[in-house]
Amino acid sequence: MATTLQPASRDGERPPPAPDEPGLEVDAERAESRRGLLIGLPSLVYLIVFFAVPLAIVFVYSFGARSRTGRTVLGEWTLDSYARLANPLVLEITARSLGYALLTTLICLVVGYPFAYYLATRSARVRGALLVLVMIPFWSNLLVRTYAWRVLLGSDGPFVRALEAMGLPTVQLLFTPFAIVLGLVYGFLPFMILPLYAAIERLDFSLVEAARDLYADGWQAFRKVTWPLSRPGVVAGSILVFIPSFGAYVTPEILGGSRTTMLGSYVVSQFLSARDQPFGAALSMAILAVMLITAIVYFRSGGRNL
Amino acid sequence: MGEVSLGDTAGTAHPTVAPAGTPAVSIDGVTKRFPGPKGGEAVTAVDRLSLDIVDGEFFSLLGPSGCGKTTTLRMIGGFEYPTSGSIRIFGDEVGLLPPNRRPVNTVFQSYALFPHMTVERNIAFGLQMQDVADDEVRRRVAEVIELVQLGGRETRKPRQLSGGQQQRVALARALVNHPKVLLLDEPLGALDLKLRQAMQLELKQLQERVGITFIYVTHDQEEALTMSDRIAVMDEGVMLQVGAPEEIYDRPRTRFVADFIGDTNLMTATVVDGRSVEISDGTVLRVANDRDVGTDVTVAVRPEKLGLRRPDGERDTSLDAVQGRVDRVTFLGNAIAYEVTALAGDPPVRLRVRQGNAPGVEHFAAGEEVRVRWVPPSATVLED
Ligand SMILES: Nc1ncnc2c1ncn2[C@@H]1O[C@H](COP(=O)(O)OP(=O)(O)O)[C@@H](O)[C@H]1O
Ligand SMILES: [Mg+2]
Repeated sequence: MATTLQPASRDGERPPPAPDEPGLEVDAERAESRRGLLIGLPSLVYLIVFFAVPLAIVFVYSFGARSRTGRTVLGEWTLDSYARLANPLVLEITARSLGYALLTTLICLVVGYPFAYYLATRSARVRGALLVLVMIPFWSNLLVRTYAWRVLLGSDGPFVRALEAMGLPTVQLLFTPFAIVLGLVYGFLPFMILPLYAAIERLDFSLVEAARDLYADGWQAFRKVTWPLSRPGVVAGSILVFIPSFGAYVTPEILGGSRTTMLGSYVVSQFLSARDQPFGAALSMAILAVMLITAIVYFRSGGRNL
Repeated sequence: MGEVSLGDTAGTAHPTVAPAGTPAVSIDGVTKRFPGPKGGEAVTAVDRLSLDIVDGEFFSLLGPSGCGKTTTLRMIGGFEYPTSGSIRIFGDEVGLLPPNRRPVNTVFQSYALFPHMTVERNIAFGLQMQDVADDEVRRRVAEVIELVQLGGRETRKPRQLSGGQQQRVALARALVNHPKVLLLDEPLGALDLKLRQAMQLELKQLQERVGITFIYVTHDQEEALTMSDRIAVMDEGVMLQVGAPEEIYDRPRTRFVADFIGDTNLMTATVVDGRSVEISDGTVLRVANDRDVGTDVTVAVRPEKLGLRRPDGERDTSLDAVQGRVDRVTFLGNAIAYEVTALAGDPPVRLRVRQGNAPGVEHFAAGEEVRVRWVPPSATVLED
């Protein structure tokens, strides 16, 4: 084994694998991974240019200092900005963002699961049509669609009008947590539905029949078989909804008010209005760390449980 | 198999008392139609099926793929509902009852083991769903694990087991519930030949030990013949014949049954009277029939029931015989197959003969003239 696992680059130096050793398989695996690298190259370049490089810049900025005139001084390597993360305003905004994101994820799950289940159990034709319906919103810009919600939820909008017509007291919908969560659910629901659909579609329904055969009623069969087996979809969908909701910028900016600021807006304000780039960068790094940890913990706990 | 049998606790699900002699399952005029694809013509999967399955028997549904076996089984299990007709289990109409309210369990074609549960939890599932007490569950799971010889693999996941072991888990998962009837849909289909043959024997012994009625679906005629007390042969949703394996094999009623089960010779003949028919070379054969004189019928006779003699030998008048010439000889090891064409007749009768390769059995060569003879009850008139 040890000999065959040495690097392949020493041309012809490798001894031929003994017949009962998996040498050929190792060779094949290596060739496979080389091919994989080649295919992955474009996206690797893309990731380096558009993700790793900007991330490195933000990383460097987060250790920068502010001069007395408000300019950013790099190369100081100070932890001042990180120390300021514990201030009450940041904590309040973080807690709020967390709350909105969790609520959004939960609502997307509750709304998306039945729909994904319905979708996955239709005939191929109906399925295709419904999938197109799920994806139609992507054909127009999120900004435009969110502005549409602003009109709909406004004090002259149909919802407020309808409530008034029913004799209920006038309520403020726009610029409330309700508007933000609604906007987030609206924006990210497809990210929940698609992985759920993929997971449920893969599910072997004879397992549900087996559960029913073994005296489970419909609900028990769902709880004991369908739900645990669709968990990978639940995990993937939840992460895909939670992460962008937590760092959302467009939706809270358009539908929220001054008392519903979320982290995304706060970070932007540090860069643009407060001109405190090191603090904004430190905030970004912290958010990134939180998301990374969330994703890892979540995947560890459920994603590979099958 | 282990030295245990299922406890005498009655099936936990439905402790009903049926009068003695009540069929385990009674299918009465059941038809199942599926809507055709894209509004096309409806598919009749099962067509006016009537059948009584006796308590404690090993009953097989046999037929080619697509003949409606699975659909029949699924209607008994409650996964499909009949378009018309009635199904009773120990006298109780099961009509539109869901599967969880029927005293039957199923061994699914691809086992359908829960991939996220261990062997133990798979087996315990049915008892837990019936709210059986925990120590009772443990006791019965242990008992059935011993019965199917899965000891030591309790905490494995299904994908860590071989096909044969998975098959045992599926069996145990159903048997642990002490069902009154066990439904099995080609349970050995995924196993290789050697294992399949071993499991056939084991399954049959298990069924005898636990005394549960087995309804067994297969397209493998040999499997059905080996294991069953009775067999129902189906084709295109219609049941063609039901009976003991010997009866089905020796007295096939239709061309399809004769052909589907084993190898057979078919001869066209004309009815002479109620006890004899005449074939194309003018030979009169003693075959009992209830047809009108002069009608054309098909006579079937199995190749291994035929014997070969020299044409000049002394005639045994208790046997029916046809004079012919050997066209082809094939050595099969345990037997020798001959193809013989009658000397006269238009078209001449052609017969395949299979003689066991035992010492003292005379061999013939292609081109030789022979007499093909058999005991009269070996031949039977088909209905079609
Ligand atoms: N759910 C279904 N929808 C439409 N047609 C079906 C369905 N199930 C079975 N059939 C049709 O019914 C016939 C009998 O099928 P099946 O009972 O599975 O046969 P077998 O088990 O004998 O191979 C086949 O023609 C099959 O295509
Ligand atoms: Mg089938």
